[in-house]
Amino acid sequence: MSLNMAAYAVWAGTGAREAAWRRFPGPAVPGLEEIPHSAPGLVVLGGGRMMDEAKYFRARRRPQMGLVLVPSLWGSGAERSPIVVLNRDGAKYIETDTAFLPDAVIYWPELLRTISEERARHACGDVWSHVLEAFLSPLGTEELYGELAALMQQLLRLPLATDERWFEASACACELQSKASVGLIHGIAHVLELQIIAQYPESGWGHAKLCSVLLQPVMELNRRNSGKWVERAAQYGIDDEAVSALWGPLHEAEAYRQVLPLLKQNWPQILRDRCSRTNGTLIRPQAIQFFEEWQA
Amino acid sequence: MTNIEKLTNLAVEVFLIDPSEFRRDLRRDEVGTWDSLGVVSLAVGVQETFGYHFTQDEALSVKSFADVIRILEQHGIPFDEP
Repeated sequence: MSLNMAAYAVWAGTGAREAAWRRFPGPAVPGLEEIPHSAPGLVVLGGGRMMDEAKYFRARRRPQMGLVLVPSLWGSGAERSPIVVLNRDGAKYIETDTAFLPDAVIYWPELLRTISEERARHACGDVWSHVLEAFLSPLGTEELYGELAALMQQLLRLPLATDERWFEASACACELQSKASVGLIHGIAHVLELQIIAQYPESGWGHAKLCSVLLQPVMELNRRNSGKWVERAAQYGIDDEAVSALWGPLHEAEAYRQVLPLLKQNWPQILRDRCSRTNGTLIRPQAIQFFEEWQA
Repeated sequence: MTNIEKLTNLAVEVFLIDPSEFRRDLRRDEVGTWDSLGVVSLAVGVQETFGYHFTQDEALSVKSFADVIRILEQHGIPFDEP
């Protein structure tokens, strides 16, 4: 650790606090507003939401401050992304700027001990949703689809469980999808996330769980809408059956039953979401019937 | 279903307009939801509906449904059906 970093303030999520305080000697802060002006930088140990808040705060409020990100979970890829997704006024606010990129990223496998099996599986679903939606994105290029296909081949070798290789894979997925777009899975997740957390605060809902639970129905809707997935997978040497076989284990029927009423209620807003509008296949208003009738 | 009916349905589905609002000469600046993301959605919808994939230049040049019809007719998709 450099001399400068030893004086960095430390902002850590609940699950990572003890490990953070043992490892980083700088002053612990409960929030971004409490960072002392004397601190030359900030170390953040947390998930995507915390990392995005810190990226935005540094870029817009303290551009001279150093920023080191230590993700406590893979999935968001926020640590290597120029995009921030922020909760503002009960909705998601998205902004892209290279100024959001941190100065350094540290992957710390010890933090994996704090992750439950369920959270790990959801994080895997989050990564897969980034890769698949970018692979189908109408904004990608042949070169990008090729890179995403290569990444998919790597992901197919990883378990849907805790494994430190997911950190790197997740960051690659996020970097690649930022060159194209995501789609309906993320459109739904962005619109419903805050509502479903408020409605089921004890059920572990968050962005990753929404992506994981919705991956199978949305990909099956895409498959019904168009032959794009099957054709593109074949074009880039992706085993459609091997990838499709992962969607089932990521899905949770009971969780889907919790999502469905909110999905119907918010469907008009979901259709207008910027991610939904760059989905790989056209999402028509009547597609809500597909979700109502869909069963794993 | 005729091609103009297909295009009308597509306009309704992509831009969430009422079918009665559709005109062949309806311009992009008259449709609030026809923003840059609408351009992307329209291109995806045209491909799924008519099997023709806009080039990037074509997608960016479209300023009205008359432009969409002109491009599709240039690629053998007729709109002068009875």
